[in-house]
Amino acid sequence: MKYWNQFLEEAKKHIPKSIDCEIKMISSTNSLTRFANSHIHQNVEEEVADIYLTVHKDDKTITLNSNITSIDSPKSLIDKALAEVENSPNDTGWAGMPESDSSFNSYKEIEPKNPEERAGKVKDFIEVGKDFNAAGYCSTSVDHYFVWNTNGLESSDSTTSAFIDGIFRTETSSGSSHRGGTSLEDIDSETAGIEAFKLAKDSQNPKDIDPGKYEVVLGPEAVSTILVFLGVYGFNARSKIEGTSPIQMNSQQFDEKLTLIDDPHRDKSLGFKIDASGAPKKTLEIVKDGVPKSLFHTRRTAKELNEDNTFHELFGWGDSFGGIGTNIYLNPGSSTKEDMISAVERGIYINEFWYCRVLDPITQVVTGLNRNGSFLIENGKITKPVGRLRFTQSFIASLAAGNVISLGSESRFADSEFGEGILNVPMLHLKEFNFTGGVSG
Amino acid sequence: MFDLLQKAVDSAISSGAAYSDARILNSKSRSISARNGDVEDFNQSESIGIGIRALVGSSWGFYSTYDLSDKSLVNAGLKAHNIAKASAKVPGKEFPLADVPIVEDEYTTPHEKNPFKVSSTDQINLLVKSTEEMKKNGSSHASGRLDFWDTEKWFFSSQGHKIYQNIVESGGGISSLSIGDGETQIRSYPQSFGEYRTGGWEVIESFKFENEVERLAEESKRLLTAPQCPEGTRDLILEGSQLALQIHESVGHAIELDRILGWEAAYAGASHLDLNKLNKHKYGSKLMNIIADATLPGALATFKYDDEGTPAQRVNIVEEGIWKGVLTGRDSAAIAGVSPGGMVRADGYGRIPMVRMTNVGLLPGNSSLDEIIEATDDGVYMETNRSWSIDDIRLNFQFGCEAGWLVKNGKITDMVKNPTYTGITPNFWASMDMLAGEDEWVFWGTPNCGKGQPGQVGHTGHPASPARFKNVRIGVKG
Repeated sequence: MKYWNQFLEEAKKHIPKSIDCEIKMISSTNSLTRFANSHIHQNVEEEVADIYLTVHKDDKTITLNSNITSIDSPKSLIDKALAEVENSPNDTGWAGMPESDSSFNSYKEIEPKNPEERAGKVKDFIEVGKDFNAAGYCSTSVDHYFVWNTNGLESSDSTTSAFIDGIFRTETSSGSSHRGGTSLEDIDSETAGIEAFKLAKDSQNPKDIDPGKYEVVLGPEAVSTILVFLGVYGFNARSKIEGTSPIQMNSQQFDEKLTLIDDPHRDKSLGFKIDASGAPKKTLEIVKDGVPKSLFHTRRTAKELNEDNTFHELFGWGDSFGGIGTNIYLNPGSSTKEDMISAVERGIYINEFWYCRVLDPITQVVTGLNRNGSFLIENGKITKPVGRLRFTQSFIASLAAGNVISLGSESRFADSEFGEGILNVPMLHLKEFNFTGGVSG
Repeated sequence: MFDLLQKAVDSAISSGAAYSDARILNSKSRSISARNGDVEDFNQSESIGIGIRALVGSSWGFYSTYDLSDKSLVNAGLKAHNIAKASAKVPGKEFPLADVPIVEDEYTTPHEKNPFKVSSTDQINLLVKSTEEMKKNGSSHASGRLDFWDTEKWFFSSQGHKIYQNIVESGGGISSLSIGDGETQIRSYPQSFGEYRTGGWEVIESFKFENEVERLAEESKRLLTAPQCPEGTRDLILEGSQLALQIHESVGHAIELDRILGWEAAYAGASHLDLNKLNKHKYGSKLMNIIADATLPGALATFKYDDEGTPAQRVNIVEEGIWKGVLTGRDSAAIAGVSPGGMVRADGYGRIPMVRMTNVGLLPGNSSLDEIIEATDDGVYMETNRSWSIDDIRLNFQFGCEAGWLVKNGKITDMVKNPTYTGITPNFWASMDMLAGEDEWVFWGTPNCGKGQPGQVGHTGHPASPARFKNVRIGVKG
C-alpha cells in the first residue's frame, strides 16, 4: 500500500492532461507446500509486486507491465509508454475506463500464513491414509489489487485463499479430494484425506468395461470441469462476438433444474470483488431454470455488443480474452450421494475428469478421461471399480433438458480443468454420457 | 549480480541448508496479437527478481522476491532455509545431489536480429497485413500472434557455479477460422498456436506468412463443406508438427524422472514407465530413435546450462524402439542412480526449477512424405493439431487435427474435416513403419507446456519429420 501510494503520487505529476491513463498494481504472497510419496518435497513462497500502465492517446493504446524492481521511476515508465504509444496502430475497440463513482475500496493488511501451518494441514491429510502413497499440495495466498485512472477512479481490494488438494495411490488405484476457502483455518484437510483414502481403497483392482453411453453420477470436481468449459468458452461475450459460443440466450438450452449464478460478493466467495478495470463485478444470473440469461462482459465486449458491462475483465490478460466468471455457483438440489447412486440402473460414478479438450467450440464436444476414483453402478449399488475410460461428449448436450436427473444437496468449492476456487458446485446425476474408448484404446 | 546472489546463498547456507543455489533473472517480453487487420493486443513486460533454493533434509525450500536490496537478499536466503525446514513436520528420506562440473561461464543465444531492436511497427504491420489478407480471402476470423522473449539469467550455487546466459526466443503464427452452420473450422501456420524457436526476428522472417495467407483462408472455408473424417482403423500419416505434439505428450512427459518417481502424481500425473524396465521396455518400432538434445542450434529448448548449472547435452531416450533414458535433475538423478542430463528449468525467477523437456525429438528416417503417401493404399493424412488429450500416465491418447486428406492407392484424394485418432502409447509407436528423412526434419517448438504446482509454463522443442503408423483407430466422434 505504501509503495502504491508513493508510486501513484509521483506518477500523477507526469501524466499529460490530454490522455487516458490507467495504472494498476498487484502485490501478492503466494505459498504452496507440496507433498509426494507421503512427505513434503517442495515448499515455495513467492513475493510479487507488478505495475501495469495503460496509456490511450490519439486513438492509440499501449500497456506496459513491469515488476517494481525493473522500474527506474514512475516518470520513466510513463515516458516510455508515451514514446511507444506513437508506434501503436489505431485502437478501434477502446472502450474507455470506469468513472470515479465506480471506486471500491477494501484494502486490508493481512499477514501471510507460515509454512508450519501448511505443513500441519498436509500432515492431517497424509496421516489418515495409513500405508497408501499420498501426493498433493496445500496452498495459501494473500493478494492486493489497486487501480487508478484519469477518470478519477481509485479502487483497491484484498483477498485471501487456501486450498488442499491431494490423492492417495495404491499399485492399482488412486483417489482424490479437494477443499478450498478464504482461510486456512476453514480447510478440513483430515476430511479431505479420508475421502481420498476411501476412493483409493475402494477403487483397487479396477475392471475394464466396454465403452458406450452410460448414466453417470459426477463428483464436484467432474461437475466443475463441465461448467468451467461453458464459463470460459460459452458465456464469455468474446466467444459470442466471434460466433464460436454455443450459448443460445433466453432459450431452454439446459435442463430446468440448473441455475447458475456468478456472485463475487457472497460471503466467503474467493477472489477480488472488482475486475481488472477497478469497478465492482456485477452479480449475474447466468442460467435461470435452464435458460441462459447473461454473458460475461468486459469494457470492450460490452461496447461491441452494445450491452451493459458486467465487469468480468481478467487481471493480467488484457481484455482481448473477454469476460470470465470466477465466482460461479450451481444451485444445489435435494439428493444425497446415496440417493443418486440408488437411482442408477446401470451407470458409472466419476470422481474427476482429466485432460479435457474441446474438439469444436460451437458444439462443445470435449474429449477427456476419468481418474482418481470411478465405479460401475448396477441396480442402485456400486458393484466394482472401473479403469480408464475416454469420453467424447458435448458438454452442452450433457446438461440439456431431460439429461439432468438430479443435483446433490451439498455444494463446495471444487477444482476444475482450469483451476480452483472458480466454481462452487454439488454433485450431478446425468442420464447419458458418451464414453468412446477404454484401457485398450 | 553474482555478488547479490552470493549474499542470498550464503545466508541460506549459514542458516543450515546443505546446499543452496539462486538465480537472478532480467526478463523482457513483447506480445502482439491481431485480428482481421486490427491490432488486438500490444503488451510489453519487464521484470527483475531473484529465486533461491535451499535443501534441508528431504525437502527443497524456495523463496522468490522482486526486492534485491541487501537486507532482502539475506532475508531471502533465511526464508528459503526456513521454508525447507518447516517440511520436517512431514519428512522423507534425505538425498544427495548428483555431481556435475562446477563451472564459471557465459552464453548468448546466437541470433541475427534482436527482436526488441526491430521496430514494433514492422512487427505489428506484419500481423495486420497477414490477417487483413486472410480476411479478404474469406476468413471469418483471421488472427495472428507474435511473441518475443529476451532473458538474462545469472546463476550462482553454494558449490561455486557462476553462469550468465542470455536466451533470446521468437515465435508466432497466423490462423484462419471459418464459421459455418453450427461448426467452426480452422487452419493455422506454421502450426497451431504458432512456431517458436531460439533466435531473433530472423525466425519470424523465415516463416514468410505472405505465402500462406491465401491457402489458410481457402482451406478453412473448404473444410466447412468437406465430408467428415471416416471412422475406422486405417493407416495414419502425420505431418511433422502433429507428430511433434505426439512426441511431447506420449514420450516427453512419460520420460520425466520426477513423474516416474511420483513427484508430480497429484496433478500432472505419473508415468506408465517403470525404472526397472529401463534398457528393456519396448517403446516402439525399430524406426523409433528419440533424443533429448539441448544443444540443437535454433531449437526452442536450446541453452548451454540448465537452471541447476548442469551442461546442456544430448541424451538417447529411445534407441531402435527400446527405452534407454530419462529426463533428470540433480536430485532425481541421484535418487534413481542415473546421470544428470541438464534438463531442469524454471518459469521465470519466481518458480522452483523442475525437470523439463529439452528438445525431445524423433531422429529422421530415410523416407519422404511423398514416398510415404505413394506407399499407402488406404489411409488418412492429418495436418496441424487442433485438440490433444492423454491420460495421467501417458498411455491413452486422442488427438484431433485441423485437416485431413484421404489417401487412396498412393495418392492424396479428398479433404476431410474433424480428423481425430486415438491409441495406446506403446502400441501406437510400435506401428510406425515409415519415417521421413532429414530434409523434412523440423525443430518444432512448444511454448506452452504446463507442469508443476504452482503452475509453470515451459518452452520445449520437438524435432520431427512426417511418419506413417499402421492400423490406427481414426474418426472418433462425440
